Amino acid sequence: MLRRLATGVVVLWAAATAAYLALLAAPGDTVDSIIGDGADTPLIRSQIVAEWGLNRPAVVQYADYLWRAAHGDLGRSYLLQRPVRDIVGEQLWPTLKLALFAALLGVVLSLLLAVTTRRPWARRASSTAELVLVSTPPFLIGIVLLSVFSFRFGLFPVAGDRGFAALVLPAVTLALPIAGVLTQVLRDGLDRALEEPFAVTARSRGLRESAVLLRHALRHALLPAVTLTGWLFGILLGGAVIIEQVFGRPGLGQVTLQAVNTKDMPVVLAVVVLSAAVYVVLNTAADLAYLLVDPRLRRS
Amino acid sequence: MLRDRFRPTALAAAAVLLLAACSGTAGEAAADAGQPVSGGSLTWGIETEPITFNPHQYAQAKARLLVANSFEGLLTHDANGGYVPLLATGYEPSADGKSYTFKLRTGVTFSDGTPFDAAAVKANIDQLLAPGYAPTVAAVQLKNLASVEVTDPATVVYHLARPDVLLLDFISSPQGAVISPQSLRKAADLKAGGPDLAGTGPFILDRYTAGQEVHYKRNPSYWGSRPAYLDEVTYRFLKESSVRVGALTSGQVQVIEGVPATDQALITGDPRLSLTRGLNSGSAYSYYLNVAHAPFDDLKVRQAFRDALDVGTALNAVYQGTATRAWSVVGPTSPLYDKSLEGSYGNNAARANQLLDEAGWTARDADGFRTRAGKRLTVRLVQSAPYVRDRRDILAQTVQAAVKQSAGIDLAVSLVDQGTATKVLEDGEYEVFDNSRADTDAGAALNLLLASNGAINRTGSKDPALDKLLDAGQATADPARRKATYARIQQRVVAEQAIVLPLYAPNDQIAAAKTVGGLSFEPTAGVPNSAYQVWVRK
Repeated sequence: MLRRLATGVVVLWAAATAAYLALLAAPGDTVDSIIGDGADTPLIRSQIVAEWGLNRPAVVQYADYLWRAAHGDLGRSYLLQRPVRDIVGEQLWPTLKLALFAALLGVVLSLLLAVTTRRPWARRASSTAELVLVSTPPFLIGIVLLSVFSFRFGLFPVAGDRGFAALVLPAVTLALPIAGVLTQVLRDGLDRALEEPFAVTARSRGLRESAVLLRHALRHALLPAVTLTGWLFGILLGGAVIIEQVFGRPGLGQVTLQAVNTKDMPVVLAVVVLSAAVYVVLNTAADLAYLLVDPRLRRS
Repeated sequence: MLRDRFRPTALAAAAVLLLAACSGTAGEAAADAGQPVSGGSLTWGIETEPITFNPHQYAQAKARLLVANSFEGLLTHDANGGYVPLLATGYEPSADGKSYTFKLRTGVTFSDGTPFDAAAVKANIDQLLAPGYAPTVAAVQLKNLASVEVTDPATVVYHLARPDVLLLDFISSPQGAVISPQSLRKAADLKAGGPDLAGTGPFILDRYTAGQEVHYKRNPSYWGSRPAYLDEVTYRFLKESSVRVGALTSGQVQVIEGVPATDQALITGDPRLSLTRGLNSGSAYSYYLNVAHAPFDDLKVRQAFRDALDVGTALNAVYQGTATRAWSVVGPTSPLYDKSLEGSYGNNAARANQLLDEAGWTARDADGFRTRAGKRLTVRLVQSAPYVRDRRDILAQTVQAAVKQSAGIDLAVSLVDQGTATKVLEDGEYEVFDNSRADTDAGAALNLLLASNGAINRTGSKDPALDKLLDAGQATADPARRKATYARIQQRVVAEQAIVLPLYAPNDQIAAAKTVGGLSFEPTAGVPNSAYQVWVRK
């Protein structure tokens, strides 16, 4: 457990450092980014440099950042002029809510689809739909859903984070591509499990086909799907950027996009560290889930 | 800080043709909405979430309608480019133009209860000059300010180091708005603004949900002749234009701003909705030609580039007749606009080719581009992706095709990130720079763009005669003489020297349900107005 924690801390540090170096290596310096294409005079420059302590060597700024981050001070946003902790803090829950609901929808939908579409025709229809969903940009899915269910029929509000109704369309938009991929993985796992000798044994004991499928094959099929947790997280975070923009929702996606565009270093670093932390937690959870799904792993 | 993307409005004077520029639908909308009524609430979908709600930090013209809801300055602009008192009752310039005395309105309080007086005005100026607070305002708008003197609670005097008529523009601008001194001392995030900052305006910002919306309630003790009509107004941040239009057509919001050319037919075709357009003030969207090195160090090549392009056709191809062609670097709604430039140049491929022949670019390479001594006639335009709006990248491609076809000029367009763009500008690795500014006084924009030491001088031009004219324009209070000076400047940079190629005058659009009345554009900036005059039919 302690080793896991230590590894986690190293991952966080590595993520922060990599992001720091990447922003440092990107063309243009911080002062340029703050000035943008506005008025640019030596006086303006010197004030910006003094305000943010940008005249210190990069190594010192980096060490200073790490030191303060270790004490829980994430600094202030260059652009938004507010503490990073407030910005990230207030935008975290809307994104988390969206991501959790979308993940839940995606997983439930894919389980349902993988298990129910076993007949050849249903399978073909579902496979085609999955492929289409995976290949369609979420942006387009979002606009289509909005046009039909919000603009045309007025079933859901267009935008914002205001109650459950406003969560439905964005979550569905985000969940559909996830369901597409997961269903394919699950179905493939089920196919392979059903060809294993244990499936024959189970059937020979007189078990119904549905019981073989749900009680035995599904467990085997779940293992590769659990491995995809990390990927799922990436999709959710990346998708949030677009979904939040289309649906006018608050959230980390918008904050991240703006921060990267304007080289708002403190915000970018906070988001990167936060993502790394969630990633570590999720992977740990996935490891634990393996034990839950597969009793064989518990013995070792 | 005063960024093109945000269409900043920094300083002073004007819009005349604005009423003409707005389509007739405003009148119809008013007829539908009936007489002004008090009460009710309004939801307004806006394109841009402001970076800050602090008026001193204001740098986005798209945020002006929000700032004006809760903050006011001593003066405001009238429809003819002049100034009218707001929190002041009047002002008196000294004979030498080096000091301005303002008499202040009495009995006005900020929404936090603090009284408005001369000490509050001085506290705001002191704050603006504090190191690290508002470097651009201190370095540009207040560069000629020597001191501010409180002579009695209702009188304040601005002393200048040298005559500067743009001071009045600053005082009328969002950055010149007066914030409660108590807020200046106590606000947790002063530079970010928000509910902590109290002003004197007709509305009070009481709720801000980042990424989603900002909510204003009526200021019940507003000092003006009447309080605002609306009880409350919510601005929702809808960044996608199709989502804004969909939200309006499905009745989920009653007003939107920012309707792209491609969506305007959806609005005008709907009998329940109206669309109005207002031309922005400031400088037109223009190409600035870099004269620091070849090939644009040669006047003939600059003129050829200008004459090779049929601006009107290019604009129609991209904006389908919704763009207003610009003939001068100064926007057509400015009182400083030189109308005589209209139709006086351009769209003459034969002359362009003749000029290029004279300049020695006679040979052609395999791709059809002109060459001289084996070198292709290439000019580079580098656009910074975060600042591209109004499909200016598409317009650049259209211009690229046009100048290739008509004169064999190779306009190399690249769309890059902001860091790369800054580096390109620093290294001078470009021949064309594009920009528009929404300063209320076009003179303020030209000081930045054209002066030898201008903060956004990208032409590399160091023209003492031009500097002298710009200085004269800034020091002249007499409107007629000022107009003549700026006419001279426009003739010089557009017609004679061809260092600026004006393309179009940016505009803003408001689409609304016809039950909403009183929507308008600010007379000077040309951006949507605050919600003070707006009402909703019951």
